[in-house]
Amino acid sequence: MPRFLRRKGVLLRVVVAVLAMVMVSSCAVRTDQIARDPGVVRMALNGWVGYEASAEVLATILRDEMGYEVQLVRTDEQPSWQALDQGVLDVIVENWGHEDLFELYGPDGNDTVVDGGPNGNVGGIGWYVPAYMVDEYPDLPTMEGIKEHADLFRTAETGDKGEFLGGAPGFVTQDQGMINAFDLNLEIVFAGSEAAQITEVRRRYANEEPVLFYFYDPQWLQEELDFVRVEFPAYKPGCDADPEWVPCDYPQYHMNKIFRTGFVEEDGDSYQFLDNWHWTNEQQNEVARMIADEGIDASDAARIWVDENPDVWREWLPEGYENR
Amino acid sequence: MATVTEPTGSTAVGTATSGRTGGWLRSSAAQALLVFVVLVAGYWVTRLMGEPSWAGGFPTGPGDRFMAWLDQVYAWIVANRNDSPLFLYFFNYISVGLGSAVVLINQALDFLTWAGVTALGLFTAWRVAGWRVALLVLATFAVFALTGLWTESMTTLALIITSVFIALLFGLPLGILAGRSEMFYRGLRPVLDFMQIMPAFAYLLPFVLLFGIGNPAAAVVTAVYALPPVVRITALAIREVPQGAIEATTSLGSTPWQMLTKVQLPMAKRTILLGVNQTIMLAVSMVVIASVIGAGGLGDAIYQALAKVNVGQAFQAGLAIVMLAIAMDRVTGAVGHGTRTPNIPERYRMPLSAAGLAVIILVTAIGRLFGLGAWPRDLSIDIATPVNIAYEWVQSVIGAYTAALATWTLNWILSPLDLLLSGSPWWLVVIAATALGWIFAGVRVAIVSAVSFLVIGLLGVWDNAMDTLSQVLVASLVTIALGVVIGVLMSRNDVLAAILRPVLDAMQTLPPFVYLIPAVALFGIGRIPALVAALIFALPPVIRLVNDGIRGVATGSVEAAVSQGSTKWQLLTKVELPMARGSLLLAVNQGIILVLSMVVMGALVGAGALGNDVVVGLAQNQLGLGLAAGLAIVCLGLFLDRVTQGRRAPRA
Repeated sequence: MPRFLRRKGVLLRVVVAVLAMVMVSSCAVRTDQIARDPGVVRMALNGWVGYEASAEVLATILRDEMGYEVQLVRTDEQPSWQALDQGVLDVIVENWGHEDLFELYGPDGNDTVVDGGPNGNVGGIGWYVPAYMVDEYPDLPTMEGIKEHADLFRTAETGDKGEFLGGAPGFVTQDQGMINAFDLNLEIVFAGSEAAQITEVRRRYANEEPVLFYFYDPQWLQEELDFVRVEFPAYKPGCDADPEWVPCDYPQYHMNKIFRTGFVEEDGDSYQFLDNWHWTNEQQNEVARMIADEGIDASDAARIWVDENPDVWREWLPEGYENR
Repeated sequence: MATVTEPTGSTAVGTATSGRTGGWLRSSAAQALLVFVVLVAGYWVTRLMGEPSWAGGFPTGPGDRFMAWLDQVYAWIVANRNDSPLFLYFFNYISVGLGSAVVLINQALDFLTWAGVTALGLFTAWRVAGWRVALLVLATFAVFALTGLWTESMTTLALIITSVFIALLFGLPLGILAGRSEMFYRGLRPVLDFMQIMPAFAYLLPFVLLFGIGNPAAAVVTAVYALPPVVRITALAIREVPQGAIEATTSLGSTPWQMLTKVQLPMAKRTILLGVNQTIMLAVSMVVIASVIGAGGLGDAIYQALAKVNVGQAFQAGLAIVMLAIAMDRVTGAVGHGTRTPNIPERYRMPLSAAGLAVIILVTAIGRLFGLGAWPRDLSIDIATPVNIAYEWVQSVIGAYTAALATWTLNWILSPLDLLLSGSPWWLVVIAATALGWIFAGVRVAIVSAVSFLVIGLLGVWDNAMDTLSQVLVASLVTIALGVVIGVLMSRNDVLAAILRPVLDAMQTLPPFVYLIPAVALFGIGRIPALVAALIFALPPVIRLVNDGIRGVATGSVEAAVSQGSTKWQLLTKVELPMARGSLLLAVNQGIILVLSMVVMGALVGAGALGNDVVVGLAQNQLGLGLAAGLAIVCLGLFLDRVTQGRRAPRA
């Protein structure tokens, strides 16, 4: 017992000393003054498998080839930006759009994040139906077809409306706006996470049940199962200005990296490496398929890819690391 | 978890005479049924009248304005987090201080290497709690290492240490004040009640607002969530110090400070340590839930597994958390009881501590010399794969039946009830809630019920709140029915009780997240898996309370009934259940509150409703929506808690 208390006492004194140091060294505390180990790279981990593939490959190289410690913190897209703004995370490796957030936190706003340029992946979001449904209703993958056959998608959850199976609540969406603008008799049901959505889509695909869902490309599942994308009037800049009324399809996204401004200013080797990194949809899918389809642990999958493709990632290493 | 720790005196058995209980139950059950009939009639009348606008859901105008205002507040905070003095000199101190503390403790644990941490843990556990507990601690560290989750475990440990420290830093003084001043205690009690009713999920958003995403906010939210038991139990412990001891000290002329430090605290020490124990247990459960707002560690591992519907992985991380919880419980519990502490003569204590310290330093030095750090991931045993195989087998065998059951429940029970609650005129629902409050618990609770429902409406989340309420009602009914049946069986059969007890222990320590994943695969996406998870989560305490209540019935009464020739069924319904009424009511109350806290977490698997508003608010930065939903959850909790607490005597 006395020892226990004494340990508490020591702990107390250490914490008081730390707090006092923080208070003395600067009266006003900014959130980015939080203690940070310079040998640790803190990466946001958003909830889809392509992102995870990129993040795990980068983390593997940073850890095993460059000697960094890497923390992958699972957050949704918008909170990741917030975490960068507060200095809790250093980098988002695959950002889909989010111009509004860049306005808020970027150089014209809080000046806490920096656009790190494209990472090489190109993607599109859309509405999808399985191919077996299109065989039965050839006009289905169009806006008119969805409108006409909305009651095909009725489920116990949605009653007399058709079900539109959404992904994770944190994903970029304009689905409600499209439902409003095209006057579709649909109700969005969020699966809660991407994996839960995939589980549900797979289950219905196996039973050839109807399903209409939010999906995107590049996505490894697209190669395993046969989906058809529903055609809507093409995206024009500004047509998604009002989130409640979006009379157009999703835009094409050129994914980019987002860095914390302080991380860029430190200009360490880890930043140099992440800045150099650039890869294609096919390369990302190789890793993503291992993770999601073959059930290999994400870090193991990254390890396999890194072992097999040294000539690809050696290009990304900053000077001084090439020969190690 | 919120109300489990409440030191209520209502488990005392035999306070109510059976005759009065029977009459009371019969009449209020009939009245409740009448309320239900009126509600159904009101629903059909408005349907037949073509759903006129005065008889629909709650008007959303005020709620929309409130949410817009909250969104503005949030926008202001984002823009001024590093400019406004309020943040620069207050909130940022807390978040930066706590965030840094987590990082520093984590680094210290890293510095010790796995060998040093194990040595430190073993020595401390042995010193305060004896060798049995030390072995348990060793097993815990072994699980951390062999599941390949050493680093995550250390982060979780750092988070728990930080937040428990903060909780005690504020909780102990508050408890001491409350123990010494009746007025202060009276002012504090409703706040503590409120904090314990509030489901863990509803805590998250306000703290994100003030402290941001990540470990700092997680540490604060965990500290606040874990605070009530230590305050309550410290106050109780100080009050229980015998009056004689206090008078003797006063008459000897000691100052209040001397009285506190020399008499009250030493005499209350053991009880206070039990409060500390409770606080640690709450912190362990919250640290997992806080992974939704970006806390790292084991909770994050479970959250990631949930996102991938990987049962095996979640089970692995869940196992590590269960071990951590059990080890912390036994160590602090042993300190409280003081029974197992090795008996070491006074003069050897210092040298022994020094020797222990030397060993720890030596082990750490050797560890660092050999370049050890965290336990290497390669040296881990894969539990996930066999668990996944077993789980897939179960899914293939019963998956079709469970899916059919899910659809049936949805179509025939849940959807009609939801339709009834959200389709009836809002004022009729408010009146029904008020009437239920009055029937079960009197005028004061009737007012609380009415206000709660009005506030829910004013917050602008009426429809979703009714959806959540219908889920809670259905899940609670099933939970209580099953819980009573199993509890009665358990009280009848000692073998069954011996088998069930450890299972219930494990079910209660397992983080609630873990239940969501298997539920999805068996029951699909939607409200049903959330209900199933809530059922599993809330069942153990209900079973336990029913069992304890029946076993606590005085043997004299049972024997009297048996000797008068009553059948087993008569014995149960006429003697045992009525006499265990206090326990049964407590079981109902606890069951419903736990169900509520789990149902809102069901949003992570598509249960929608209020929980989804919280998740969307968090994920899409719509803090107005998220906060409004969080408040509505609290209002629902308040209503359900007060109504089911009934006319029980006010708390001690």
